[in-house]
Amino acid sequence: MKRGIAALLMTIAVLFSGISIAAHHSFAAQYDSNKPITLKGDITRIEWANPHIYFYLDAKDEQGNPVRWTCESGAPGALSRRGFKRGDLKLGDTIVVDGYRAKNGSNMMDARRVTLADGRIVSGGSAGDGGPQ
Amino acid sequence: MIARLSRSTIALLIAGVAASAILTSAQERPLQEPDRKSTKPAPRTASGKPDLSGYWKGTRETKPGGNIGKDLPGWKLPLTPAGEAALTHNLTATIDPESLCILGGTPRHNASGLPFEILQGANKVAFLYWYSYFRLIPIDPKRKHSDDPEPSFFGEELGRWEGDTLVIDSIGFKDEKVWIDENANPHSDALHVVERWTRPDYDHVHVETLIEDPKFYTKPFTYSRTWVLGAPDEELQEYACSENNVDAAHLGFGPGPIRPDGTRGYIDPAPLPPPIPRAPNPSK
Repeated sequence: MKRGIAALLMTIAVLFSGISIAAHHSFAAQYDSNKPITLKGDITRIEWANPHIYFYLDAKDEQGNPVRWTCESGAPGALSRRGFKRGDLKLGDTIVVDGYRAKNGSNMMDARRVTLADGRIVSGGSAGDGGPQ
Repeated sequence: MIARLSRSTIALLIAGVAASAILTSAQERPLQEPDRKSTKPAPRTASGKPDLSGYWKGTRETKPGGNIGKDLPGWKLPLTPAGEAALTHNLTATIDPESLCILGGTPRHNASGLPFEILQGANKVAFLYWYSYFRLIPIDPKRKHSDDPEPSFFGEELGRWEGDTLVIDSIGFKDEKVWIDENANPHSDALHVVERWTRPDYDHVHVETLIEDPKFYTKPFTYSRTWVLGAPDEELQEYACSENNVDAAHLGFGPGPIRPDGTRGYIDPAPLPPPIPRAPNPSK
C-alpha cells in the first residue's frame, strides 16, 4: 500500500509540476537522450543554486574502481516545486540517480530522477530546456 | 493499486497537492502560466502614460517558445545566403552564448522562457532579466542614434512614446557571440529592431517587434508576444550564471536538434528505466 501511495503521489506531483524550466542551456546541446544511465553512489559535494543545481557522487565503475560523477538537475525553484528541497541531499548519503549521460562521454549526467537515502523518489526536472518530459 | 486506496485517501492527497500549489512560495511558482482574461484597465503613471511596470511571465500558449520565427509560416526565416552561412556557423561552431553567461541581448530576451521585470520611470525604462542582466532605455523623442554606436548585445536603444505605445528603436549590435534566439538563428551588426510595447489591460504586456537585418535576412519580419502579470510577491531571483558554470566545459556546438514543433530538443528520447523502490537507507 505504501508503494501504491508513493506511486500515486509521484504521478500527481508530475501532473502538477508544470513543464517550464529556467533555460540556461539546451538539454540537447549537452546530454544524449539515447544514453539513459543509472548511478548509485555517495554524495561528496552539493551546489544548490540558480540556474542549475549540481551534486557530485562517488560511484564505482564495472571493475569496482571509484569514479567521481557530476550530476546536474533543474533550478532550485523548479525542483522545490516538484518536492525536491534543499536539504534532501546530504553529504555522505547513498543515493540512486537516473538520467541521461553527457554527449561528450564525460562523467556528467542529467539527474532526472533521484532516489534519496530515505527511499523517497524525487524529480530532478531537466538540466536544460527541451529535455525529455 | 489506486483502486486499493480509499476515496477519502485520494481526496486527501489531491487536496494536499492543490493546497501545496497555493501555498508554494513565490520562488517555487512556475516561470510560465496559462494565459488569462483580464477586466481591469492598465494602470497609468502621473503623466497619463500606461505604466508597463510589473513582473511579466510568459504564457504556455506562446508556441514555439524560443523561436524568433514564431509568427512566420513554418517558422521559416527569410535568410540570405550570408544568413544561411551564419546559421550553419552557429549550429556547427558556436556554443550557445547565453549558456556561457554572455548577455542574450535584443531581441533574444523577448523570445526567452524566463520572466522579466519592467520598472518604468518618466524618462527611463528598465528591463530586468533573470541572469541578473538589465537594459536601461532613455525615453526621449529628441535623441537620435549615434553615427557609429559602439556595438553591444542590446544595441543602442532609444525610447519614445507614440500615444500609449512605448517604442524602443535599437541599432548598433554585436555580430559575434550572439544568437538571435534559442535555436541559434543568426543576426549581424546590421540588425535594426523596433519594439512597440503596450499594456492592453492590467494583466498583460505585449510587444510587436520589427526585425530588419539586410545582411542576413531578405526582408524584415515581425515577432509578437504577450506576457501575463505575476503575483504581487513574485520577482526576479538572483541567477549568478557565471558563479559555477559547470556546463561550459560540456556543451556542444549549436542547440541540438530542432523538433517539428519549432523548439529545441530531442524528438524520441529513450525512456528512463522504471524506478526501483528500495528500503530506506539511513544517512551515514
